[in-house]
Amino acid sequence: MRTLPSWVITLLSMAVVLAIWIGITSGGLVRDLFLPGPLDLWDGFMELVQDGYKGRPLLEHVGMSLFRVIAGFLTGAAAGTLLGLGMGYSPRINALAAPFIEFLRPLPQLAYLVLLIIWLGIGETSKVTMLFLAALPVSAIAARDGVANVPPERVSVALALGASRWQVFRYVIIPSALPEILVGARLAAGIVYGTLIAAEIIAGSNGIGWMILDAGRFLRSDYVFAGIGMIGITGILIDRLLLLIERRVVHWAGR
Amino acid sequence: MPNGLITRRAALAGTAAASVALATRRGWAAAPATVNIGFFTETKPTMIAKGEGWFEAGAGGKLNWTEMGSGADINTAITAGSCDIGLATGSAATAAGIAQGLPFKLIGMVDNIGPAEEMTVRTAANIKTPADFRGKKVATPFGSTSHFRLLGFLKTNGLTQRDVTVLDMKAAAIVAAWSRGEIDAAYVWAPAKSKILADGGAVFPTYEALDKAGYVIADLVVVRDGFAKQYPEAVTGFLKAYGRALTMYQQKPDDSAVLVAKQAGVTPAVALADMKEYDFVSLKDQASDAWLGGTAANPGKLAHVLKGTADFLVEQKSIKSAPAVDAFQKAIDTGYLTKALA
Amino acid sequence: MSTTVAILPPARLGQRMRLSTLPRQLLGAAAVAAMVAGWWVIAATGMVRADLLPSPLDVWDALVEVTRDGYRGTTLWGNALSTLERLLSGFGLATLVGVPLGLWMGSNRVTHAAVDWIIQFMRPLPPLSYMILLILWLGTGDLSKSALLFLTAFPIIVASAAAGVRGVKQQRIQVALALGASRAQVFRHVIMPSAAPMVFTGLQIALAAAFSTVVSAELLAATDGLGWMVISASTFLRNDIIILCILILGALGFILASLLRATDRRLIHWRGRDS
Repeated sequence: MRTLPSWVITLLSMAVVLAIWIGITSGGLVRDLFLPGPLDLWDGFMELVQDGYKGRPLLEHVGMSLFRVIAGFLTGAAAGTLLGLGMGYSPRINALAAPFIEFLRPLPQLAYLVLLIIWLGIGETSKVTMLFLAALPVSAIAARDGVANVPPERVSVALALGASRWQVFRYVIIPSALPEILVGARLAAGIVYGTLIAAEIIAGSNGIGWMILDAGRFLRSDYVFAGIGMIGITGILIDRLLLLIERRVVHWAGR
Repeated sequence: MPNGLITRRAALAGTAAASVALATRRGWAAAPATVNIGFFTETKPTMIAKGEGWFEAGAGGKLNWTEMGSGADINTAITAGSCDIGLATGSAATAAGIAQGLPFKLIGMVDNIGPAEEMTVRTAANIKTPADFRGKKVATPFGSTSHFRLLGFLKTNGLTQRDVTVLDMKAAAIVAAWSRGEIDAAYVWAPAKSKILADGGAVFPTYEALDKAGYVIADLVVVRDGFAKQYPEAVTGFLKAYGRALTMYQQKPDDSAVLVAKQAGVTPAVALADMKEYDFVSLKDQASDAWLGGTAANPGKLAHVLKGTADFLVEQKSIKSAPAVDAFQKAIDTGYLTKALA
Repeated sequence: MSTTVAILPPARLGQRMRLSTLPRQLLGAAAVAAMVAGWWVIAATGMVRADLLPSPLDVWDALVEVTRDGYRGTTLWGNALSTLERLLSGFGLATLVGVPLGLWMGSNRVTHAAVDWIIQFMRPLPPLSYMILLILWLGTGDLSKSALLFLTAFPIIVASAAAGVRGVKQQRIQVALALGASRAQVFRHVIMPSAAPMVFTGLQIALAAAFSTVVSAELLAATDGLGWMVISASTFLRNDIIILCILILGALGFILASLLRATDRRLIHWRGRDS
């Protein structure tokens, strides 16, 4: 095991999971209602690819969901990071914003769904806003903590060398906080994804989240699993992309 | 003689022991410890039987009431074994469940929905004929009986979901979106329906035509197979309790409304107005061919309605396939109704 | 106390605004008060219709009503307790299993390769997407609800613990090993302290994520809980109760997060002195 390359181990582990899955489902141990077999799932997926779901092509559902996720994530992470940097740097901004951020962060999105509809309607605005609100506090707190965790010596040295406050912020604090900001961005992406279905409850008839919900109503487990698979895989892709950016940008992290 | 005496005594003791054992087993079978009920809080006579403890007395065990989001949730919970009786689940969900071979029997109904679920259009949207729906936004909770009726309305009028934007929204979301003027029409039930009617809405009658075309919708009572087999008397007692509530509603609607209102958290006037829209079919009529009654060879009306509903759901690709009409009649068991009426 | 101050770099810089904690809290309170005042004005001037946005007074009345009469046969306190129980059992188990697994994954390449793809796959999944499956598998009781919260928190906890270990500076480990430390000693004295801040950050994020899922957990079939209450209020269009629930949920989440943060500060006093 120890000599095998990591990707081989990952493939082996996938094979084991697949084998267990086939074992459980093909032996008739569980009804396909509870857990569809890999083949049922594949058939369901192909059906979705060919015929779409409820009058819309599958790509449209995926595209709408990705649009919402990316729009919510980008706006939320950008606003959150800016706010977090400010909060980390200035105790006043922190004092003003912290109560709202801390209140918002754990707040279940479903609780204010009706209010979002009242205020912003049923179009894309309310859906993207919900995802924005999911990303914002995570990014803000990551950026704030990133600034807070900057080693004080670095700051003192820079100040002693005659750097201005802005220079300290730009050349010491931001680079030092960047790893945490980017970790926060990845977390925010995960949370935005996790909020997708809640957003697509607002008013639907498109999006992968809505599809999973609608298929779940009639216990179409094959479609539910296909949808979960698509969300999982696109989620990993987005995460890898962010990781790539993280590694590029923060080349000094961990060294 | 002594021998005989001993034998007789032994026989007596044996019989007594056996009858006690039998009685105990029977008593246990008649009275489950707890019964899991999946229900919706709504303005219907079911709430009288719930509030007054009649259901509890009828079933003979402690009732564990779980509020469900939709009839589909009741299907899921029954399949998972954590719901024994589904109260007032919609016929669309029930048809889907029977088609999928879920482990439950249809044993009675709460009401024939009739005009209680109806299309409401925004007066300002100027919708006078079915053709006026083109390009409009209509909201309904997907998977519900209202959704089924709405799709039936579109189909019978030659409209598709390309002509009309059909949106999946919960009842509360419909009211919120309506107040912002974002939807032009909605197919939904009370209390959302009354709210939007009061807020610049008007009824666009679809019910009579759809009813004739076979788009009948009803709220039903289903029971999990395993539970019904084990506690048939509890099931009968439960239906009997609903019969009692129905009688009370028919005889004293005003007093009933007060009790229902208390359970649903609305005013008695609202409760009474809501209830007047439903057709609460008596247990006796329920058992007849007009509703649940019928045989596999000669299925009754409800079996045909459910079959039609399931076929429609297949067409919509909500479920994979639907069996023939006799399978729907077989999933209906009027035995409990008959016993409750006896 | 000193750690509280150390959290904020400008204060640490020792120049100007050495605000004591009191005025800063006042500033926060002022911001909240301004928010409530704004809400009041919006509600009072009728910019939004009253039945759609209740005023702060209406919400206060709702609170009084619910504490006095309960809400549809349940008490506010009982609902909060049920929700907390589900949350803490799910989150607690996720912590107990997730932290060791994450640390192991971080320090063992084989485990990482075998498990990481599952964690990465689970992480972006919306809890609502598999709620229906959990109900099918585990029923409508507390088990499926706790399981949902467990599954929400678990991948976050594992991923951050693993990242914490993998982020430990290699030179530190090399130095410790060169100085003759055993692998166990390195893990205990070098890796654990360096990874601990990340682990706690992960716990905080996981707690927030699990908390934000409590309404989803109680969406489909529930008899009590704050999530049930807010959904039931939505069905009955009781917007005053909805806002009341939002405020209670937010406050509860805030308190739990603060408790966790306080533990973090107490346990990891070296946070921010990394280098």
